[in-house]
Amino acid sequence: MPRPLLHSLLSLILNQLTRVLHAVCSVYKQNFLAMNSNSSNGTHSDDKEECSVRPILCELGVITRPDGSAILTQGHTVVMSAVYGPSEVRMQRLQVDRAYVETVFRPKAGVPNTSDRLRETIIRDTCETAMIATLYPRTTISVILQEMEDSGGLLACSINASCLALMDSGVSMKFLFAAVTCGVTEDDLIIVDPDADKLKECKASLTFAFDSINKNVIASYTSGTFPVQTYNNGLEKCRQASDFLFDFYRDIVRKYASTL
Amino acid sequence: MNGSSEGDVVVPGDVVRLTGVKGKVVLGPGLARTGEGVHATKCGVLRKGGNNIFYVDSRQKKYVPAKGECVLGVVTNARGDMFKVDIGSSDEASVSYLAFENATKKNRPLVNVGDVLFGRLLVASKDMEPELVCVDSHGKKGRLGVLPDGGFLFTCSLNLVRKLLRPECPLLEALGKQLAFELVVGLNGRVWLRTGSVRETLLVADAVLAYQHLQPHQVQHAVDQLIYQLSSS
Amino acid sequence: MSVHIKTIHPMKYMRDFLARNIRPDGRKLSEVRPTAINVGSISTADGSALVKIGNTVVICGIKAELTVPNAENPNEGFVIPNVELPPLCSPQFKSGPPGETAQVSSQFLADILVNSKCVDLQSLCIMPDKLAWVLYCDLICLDHDGSVLDACVAALVSALCTVTLPEVKFDAITKNKTVELEKRRPLTLTCFPFASTFATFDENSILADPSEEEESLCSGTISIVTSGDSLYSVHKPGGCQLSENRLSECISKAQKRSLTLRGMVEKSMESIKS
Repeated sequence: MPRPLLHSLLSLILNQLTRVLHAVCSVYKQNFLAMNSNSSNGTHSDDKEECSVRPILCELGVITRPDGSAILTQGHTVVMSAVYGPSEVRMQRLQVDRAYVETVFRPKAGVPNTSDRLRETIIRDTCETAMIATLYPRTTISVILQEMEDSGGLLACSINASCLALMDSGVSMKFLFAAVTCGVTEDDLIIVDPDADKLKECKASLTFAFDSINKNVIASYTSGTFPVQTYNNGLEKCRQASDFLFDFYRDIVRKYASTL
Repeated sequence: MNGSSEGDVVVPGDVVRLTGVKGKVVLGPGLARTGEGVHATKCGVLRKGGNNIFYVDSRQKKYVPAKGECVLGVVTNARGDMFKVDIGSSDEASVSYLAFENATKKNRPLVNVGDVLFGRLLVASKDMEPELVCVDSHGKKGRLGVLPDGGFLFTCSLNLVRKLLRPECPLLEALGKQLAFELVVGLNGRVWLRTGSVRETLLVADAVLAYQHLQPHQVQHAVDQLIYQLSSS
Repeated sequence: MSVHIKTIHPMKYMRDFLARNIRPDGRKLSEVRPTAINVGSISTADGSALVKIGNTVVICGIKAELTVPNAENPNEGFVIPNVELPPLCSPQFKSGPPGETAQVSSQFLADILVNSKCVDLQSLCIMPDKLAWVLYCDLICLDHDGSVLDACVAALVSALCTVTLPEVKFDAITKNKTVELEKRRPLTLTCFPFASTFATFDENSILADPSEEEESLCSGTISIVTSGDSLYSVHKPGGCQLSENRLSECISKAQKRSLTLRGMVEKSMESIKS
């Protein structure tokens, strides 16, 4: 099949898929809001609004050939991810003491450019930190990400999707990781997990990846100009929001645990 | 944090509490010791086997060889002293031509490329190529060796294999009451199946694959449907 | 003897040094290597600088060309950085098209220029929608010995300081361009961003300005770009986890260092003027 046709077909299917997912999203959002109001008794109602993330939906094992796969939607941002490995390694990539981790990020249309390369290195290094790569010497672990739709927070969504695919693949990990983006407005206010429209009004955006044990920062990527204090505020807000993602991960495992 | 105990859902990084055990504890797949405590390294359910073995039952498709496990492989190269066998891990396993029952230097075993082999992993270390044997320590083959023609080999996830190999597996029990079939399950996520007809083989294979998503109480119904399909043709 | 330990147990070698709060090359943990900035080193370029941090050497040359502005932003010019990591600078690079590291570094510099808005792109426009300057900034690494990003950012910024653009007269009707090479005006920067890289070793040691050897042994790096007060980038692509306190520590160190570097650039600018 010619490539452009395949692309258009794929995006058509995806549009349908996201539409269905969004219908379910709204239900999930209500649940989430209910949950949030239960947990945050002592905080201001404004705070709660700021620290909530967009509705998340995910399915594990969506594609059959990879050793682990996932599709994740955060708001309207959709990323599909796959993990192969530990599998055979090319001679020049061989590392005798640990697995070689490679990441491929495919944009929605066109060929990957240099900013996708930058994204790849962030995702790869984050995955490599979480994995116990020394358990699989002389092998490759490939993490492949396909952007389906970008409406803000693509990097964070990609990092989370790669974590889910790794969970599905059964690769040993030290901890799970979750990424959250926040936007900084002109008056240095923080908006957690903004969508594309809100992001346009922001002067800067900060993306952080946290580990699941101590919620320390694994990765940080920023764009725009911002003062130090705002950076620290954003970090704290994103860290609070990451709790929701970690709970979400655990819920997914709980769901499939009954069939194990 | 109190830590998770047997039967709990765990995710990587969770502290695991090993309760109700005396003496030595064996940490199986999905658990690792870090300093003082024990942490989970995979997502799944914490389980306890015999001999104080703790492990995490998780979703996994890719096989990582472990010593002593029985696996199914396909011979890819049968020349020389060592045969190469694809067992689905990152490296191909090797098996010596002397590692078969009654094999001597004069009496080479009959192994061809494409044969399905059921063997036990003698060597499996992350730093070495895995090695298979098709005899036990007394030189007897038992159930190991080259599997006969007419079988059907298919792959499935590793947790399905573990599910099939549990002492009482509701699916195999229910199927066994109705049909005659031979089933060999390799811990590397491969299943070999032989029945009387092609139709039966495919239906049983389907049932085995569907078992991945079935809860125990749904099994009987699934098997009844399968028998109904067979009898209606 | 120490050479043998280094080859057999590189991690232990490093750990033993760090346990005594000193690094194999004799520096303290937060000590940076001696830095030298030389501006205007290439007389044929429109702007140039050479930056040396320890053994790391990066040279930057800027060429100004005339072009048509982008239709999306008709009254803006362009600044296009390009980092080259030739096989000359380190055995880890092979000849051929730019590798991953070079691409990522180029993108990082481009991001910093966008984030900090240190060059006012509108000042590069001569006639909206018709004519604008494009500044091609070529950075070549001559010696790759760790913290290359720091050297690249410093070289880029100091080279931009030295850029002078000739006056151009453009006749919109006849489309005639006359370049007056004698009348040159300097490019003004709105801010001076500088990068500081830190490497994390074993979760509790943070090494400022790591060398290549340290970078390869460490579990991750963090690069902070700042002009003293505002932050332009906090780039940490994975690696060891950091707590917030550690992060703030790095940021305040980076802020101090950027002021020192700015002083150095200003000093070397004065030297070429006089």
